[in-house]
Amino acid sequence: MFTFFVRRLSVMVPTLFVISALIFVIIQLPPGDYLTTLVGELEAQGENVDQEKLDFLRQQYGLDRPVLEQYALWLKGMLQGDFGYSFEHNQPVVDVVGDQVLLSVVIAFATILFTWVLSFPIGVYSATHQYSTGDHVLTFIGFLGLATPNFLLALILMYLANVYFGTSIGGLMDPRYLDQAWTWGKAVSILEHLWVPVIVIGTSGTATLIRRLRANLLDELQKPYVNTARAKGLSEMRLLLKYPMRVALNPFIADIGNLLPALLSSAAIVAVVLSLPTTGPLLLKALQSQDMYLAGFLLMCLSVLTVIGMFLSDIALAALDPRIRLTGGRQR
Amino acid sequence: MTVRRPEGPPGRPTRRGPAAGLPGLLIGAALAIAICPGETRAGGTLPKSYISPFHFGHSEQSGALPKVEKRLPRVPLVVQPGPDQTVGRHGGTLHLLVGRERDTRLMVVYGYARLVRYNRDFRLVPDILESFEVEEGRVFTFRLRPGHRWSDGHPFTAEDFRYSWEDVALNPELSPGGPSKDLLVEGKPPVFEVLDAATVRYSWHKPNPHFLPALAAAAPRFIYRPAHYLKRFHAAHADPAELQKAAANLRLHSWTALHGLKDNPYRFDNPDLPTLQPWRNRTHGPAQRFIYVRNPYYHRVDPEGRQLPYIDRVILRVSSPSLIAAKSMGGESDLQARGLEFNQYTFLKMGEKRRPYDVRLWKTARGAHLALYPNLNVADPAWRKLFRNTRFRRALSLGINRHEINQVLYYGLGTEGNNSVLPQSPLYSESQRFRWARYDLKLANRLLDRLGLTKRDSRGLRLLPDGRPMEIIVESSGEHTEQTDVLELVRDSWVKLGIKLYSKPGQREVLRKRVISGQTMMSIWSGLAAGIATADVSPAELAPTNPYQFHWPRWGEWYSSRGKTGEPPALPAARKLLALYRKWETAQHEADRISVWREMLEIHAEEVLTFGLVAAIPQPVVVSQALRNIPKEAIYSWEPGAYFGIYNFDMFWLARRKKG
Amino acid sequence: MSERSEGAARLRHYVSDAPFDPLETEQLSAGQERLFTSSGWRLMWLKLKRHRLAVWSGYILLALYGSILISEFLAPYSLGHRHTDFIYAPPQGIHIFHEGKLQAPFTYGLRYRLNMENLRREYERDDFRRYPVRFLCRGDSYDFWGLFESDVHLICPNKDGTLFLLGTDRLGRDLFSRIIYGARISLTVGLFGIIFSMVLGIIFGGLAGYYGGIVDSTVQRIIEVIRSFPELPLWMALSAALPITWSPILIYFGITLILGLIDWTGLARAVRSKFLALREEDFTAAAELMGARPSRIIARHLVPNFTSHLIASATLSIPSMILGETALSFLGLGLRPPVTSWGVLLSEAQSINAVALYPWLMVPGLAVVIVVLTFNFLGDGLRDAADPYH
Repeated sequence: MFTFFVRRLSVMVPTLFVISALIFVIIQLPPGDYLTTLVGELEAQGENVDQEKLDFLRQQYGLDRPVLEQYALWLKGMLQGDFGYSFEHNQPVVDVVGDQVLLSVVIAFATILFTWVLSFPIGVYSATHQYSTGDHVLTFIGFLGLATPNFLLALILMYLANVYFGTSIGGLMDPRYLDQAWTWGKAVSILEHLWVPVIVIGTSGTATLIRRLRANLLDELQKPYVNTARAKGLSEMRLLLKYPMRVALNPFIADIGNLLPALLSSAAIVAVVLSLPTTGPLLLKALQSQDMYLAGFLLMCLSVLTVIGMFLSDIALAALDPRIRLTGGRQR
Repeated sequence: MTVRRPEGPPGRPTRRGPAAGLPGLLIGAALAIAICPGETRAGGTLPKSYISPFHFGHSEQSGALPKVEKRLPRVPLVVQPGPDQTVGRHGGTLHLLVGRERDTRLMVVYGYARLVRYNRDFRLVPDILESFEVEEGRVFTFRLRPGHRWSDGHPFTAEDFRYSWEDVALNPELSPGGPSKDLLVEGKPPVFEVLDAATVRYSWHKPNPHFLPALAAAAPRFIYRPAHYLKRFHAAHADPAELQKAAANLRLHSWTALHGLKDNPYRFDNPDLPTLQPWRNRTHGPAQRFIYVRNPYYHRVDPEGRQLPYIDRVILRVSSPSLIAAKSMGGESDLQARGLEFNQYTFLKMGEKRRPYDVRLWKTARGAHLALYPNLNVADPAWRKLFRNTRFRRALSLGINRHEINQVLYYGLGTEGNNSVLPQSPLYSESQRFRWARYDLKLANRLLDRLGLTKRDSRGLRLLPDGRPMEIIVESSGEHTEQTDVLELVRDSWVKLGIKLYSKPGQREVLRKRVISGQTMMSIWSGLAAGIATADVSPAELAPTNPYQFHWPRWGEWYSSRGKTGEPPALPAARKLLALYRKWETAQHEADRISVWREMLEIHAEEVLTFGLVAAIPQPVVVSQALRNIPKEAIYSWEPGAYFGIYNFDMFWLARRKKG
Repeated sequence: MSERSEGAARLRHYVSDAPFDPLETEQLSAGQERLFTSSGWRLMWLKLKRHRLAVWSGYILLALYGSILISEFLAPYSLGHRHTDFIYAPPQGIHIFHEGKLQAPFTYGLRYRLNMENLRREYERDDFRRYPVRFLCRGDSYDFWGLFESDVHLICPNKDGTLFLLGTDRLGRDLFSRIIYGARISLTVGLFGIIFSMVLGIIFGGLAGYYGGIVDSTVQRIIEVIRSFPELPLWMALSAALPITWSPILIYFGITLILGLIDWTGLARAVRSKFLALREEDFTAAAELMGARPSRIIARHLVPNFTSHLIASATLSIPSMILGETALSFLGLGLRPPVTSWGVLLSEAQSINAVALYPWLMVPGLAVVIVVLTFNFLGDGLRDAADPYH
């Protein structure tokens, strides 16, 4: 177990390095840099821009240095804890991001929880009542969530929530609670706003999990030992919970790792539509305005989150399934 | 509230009530401005007494703030309400929505406190300055208001101008490129003198017509800075080692970066930076909400003596740009125009039933909302020859059905015509607006036939002299579907001329590069920025003066690089326009400037150098029902106008006390 | 005839009288014979037929893909046909009853009025004007795949009337026709991406699975890096890198390549695990012993064994490609007007305006949902059927 742990950990580090290089390349791909996009935007609004100030700023920010040098500086800075400067906000990157990462994690967590809570009973029911009407209906609903484009659903739900429940449009809470201390009203307002993104993001993951759980459980239920247990007089429920469930649970846990990147990605789009103060919209704006260091930092954060998530799910899986430990890797 | 008789400057009547003297006052002021063009003085009788916005129990009573008479300059600016405005009351909080955190600069734009500013007739009048004199268009003497203070109480004096000029603009580390272009005439800076603590003078060797408009601009040239605050970030006035340490603490690599960070009067993101604007920022970024509280030392008062601004606080909320319409409809903004587009009008009107606001329609002020720019520097020689042919351009312009565009996209509420000035401008001429701009397919086809483009291919497209079919690719920045829609409409009418249009959305940056390098044939972009220009506004847009003009980028580059790169203008019309522009720059009298403008506009009308489509697009403005003094119908323009600036944003007031 | 009757006296046995043929085998009925000698594909098809939802999904998809070939024929209007007088018109229905009497299918007239107060275009049904709909009629002319020109449509509006089955958009273009044309791009973007992703997946997964060892670890690391990368910024950056000078067709291919580039990892992992298992099978060992080269072993013996799995995976990946294209169009990357795809149509409907005032603009979303659902059901069925011996 320990060697497995160490081995997985040692693999993570070079992965992160490669990711950082990829991220930097990707940020630099679009033509121009932060200042050129700034100029363009202002001029599109009919506002004038001081060309000399821009040249001055370009030199100040080091945007006129070669790409490789910029990457090396960035990497060195990151290892020392200096994550760079955000041009757009005129602040160090860590100050800008602040508690938005926390919020992203909270939403991701809530969504994963929602997904599990929803898909687990549905998956079990589907497997045990295969091909029944209930099975078909539930799978259909699960698929529906998967099939609908997220951003459209988010927009529709937000509008309906405003029309029928009076929820204010966008944001995480009603504007009057923004700077206030925590009150019951504030918490309720947050919940009122939270259900739309959680449902929209969660439903797409639900279908996958339902299907996976159903397939694995079906596989297990057809194995001979189930017949034996049944023949020996074990009740259906106890039978279900004692053996097949544990085996079927494995890919369920493994799916945290698979789910996380897709979750964060669709969460970003939904957050943009709903104007939630999470990393998604921040990242999008940073990428569009080529706010290099901010975008790089956020991407690294997301990747690290994902890598850690996958690592944790691997560990959990190894703890649950001795076969993994012994053969040293995921077989599925 | 205790009141004290103010000491007015000698010779100024202080006993007459302001209301009684109003008509005479205006006539007197108008006469003064008309008779003495070289000297302008802020008109208006001073009120008998001043009313402070700070009430019982507030810091004024407890002694933290001096009394209002001490806070105002000795001669404050008395602002008269406009024709559709009234005197108001203090109090209340205004909520606004913005799309980016960067938009905190809107408070400088809306606040519109400038050394000189445009009034509602777009004439330049002193604002922060008590008066100014211009001699021969090249010597500017500014008089400050004695007793005028910064928002932190420190006096506002000529030292602030000196610091800005000598320690910032001339400092090689802070301004490596030297002072900005509108402070240079033929590359030479002015002679700056401090005549006394309240008077400064800038003298050039030749007239500088850009100076005053730059001071009055929506995004102004700041020639003054709070020296007392910034000196501690300047290497010449503070200990360099300390500065280096402070810079390193904020992860900046030099004191110049630190100074630049703290000194951002336009961006308005440093709450500690003293300001002269009506409200000052109190929130450190990054934030979703920025709170602006009133500046206790603001220099304007209303005719009854109330120190402006009326509104106590302005709260700016940062929201996703695509949601601003939805949030406005939900009543989350008290005054919103930014981020709202005309096609959202119906949706906003729907919300009027549920929330206490109404939607007004102002008009935008660009010469054309969208215009087509044929690239006269295109690389393809056949097209270049055609684009440089005036008759060809006229034919293309005649082939555009502007009426249909107006009907389909703007319900017919726009003003069709060329990319030229609008009726509100004193330089407007109806003939110039509609010349070669009325939809006439027969005439257009005849012109094309007479140019010899009579051969057609199997699809009915005309052929170029070298046999290729006439296919024009119009590139756009791809940011608005409006542009693609317009191009689709133009395509349908040009096909009747035998010319096929392909629309290609791109990216702003890439578009610009392609235009300059000659790869782009034609582009679509917004039209003349100075749509309601007066003769004092620079006509630089009408001549090839900078490389960002999409119809003659190389000629513009030649001018802006002073002949080093680019090409000299090849068309005689363009050469004439450039000569006229130079004439405007050196003109000393207003009559000369007017005649230059008129000539340039006439050349544009005759030569059809750009194809304007529809102008004066309605702009929805959401106004809360509690808010007063917002004009019902007005022009929504950036320059001149500063959006709400010229309508005296500081005089907007809330009739009902709002919570929060 | 027993030969040792005395010795077998204590053993009761029975010997058949029937003629004995040592080479004779058990007789099978025709059906059974077909079943037992059928190929893997046939078995898969038989199992799939039992999953009725999958079968119906398959039919629907076939119809949709078939419609791509005759889009011009099916759509009542051509792609660029605008009606300046019918902007944002709501959907019209086809009626067959008028005042209780059965009639040929027709649409009612539309009366248009501009409400000057809120600038809303208001349409009213004009019950006095009925316009019978025409079938197999002549309408807008079109160029059929560059072969010939025609103007025959399946259904067209009456000469004086309008047929806006799903309403019109902001330029007065019929939405139903645009959805039919949009299917061309939206349905095929998944296909090309899948092919690309399959090729990459088989190559990498196969190499990893067959050779194992260091090749395996490297490929696994690459896969992990790509998987842990958030998709959205990858899309954004790659789309931004597409040169703007490319024609819409090339950009379209570029988009599919990008989508495929990110998607191949799942397939590669499946291929790898399958290869790892199959490598241990006896037939592989036999082939190796007989001297077959690795390429022959892979191509001839291993790949056919999991093609069914591959197809099932591919079918399940196409929907994510289609959704990916809509997401990219929503973000303003990828395909943009004047190209017409469902993603572009949706991005034009992506505003609070559309949701509140013109909800019919969101119908392309329904089309996306239907296609994604049918692909998922079909893929599910294929996957269940892919292992017929299970």
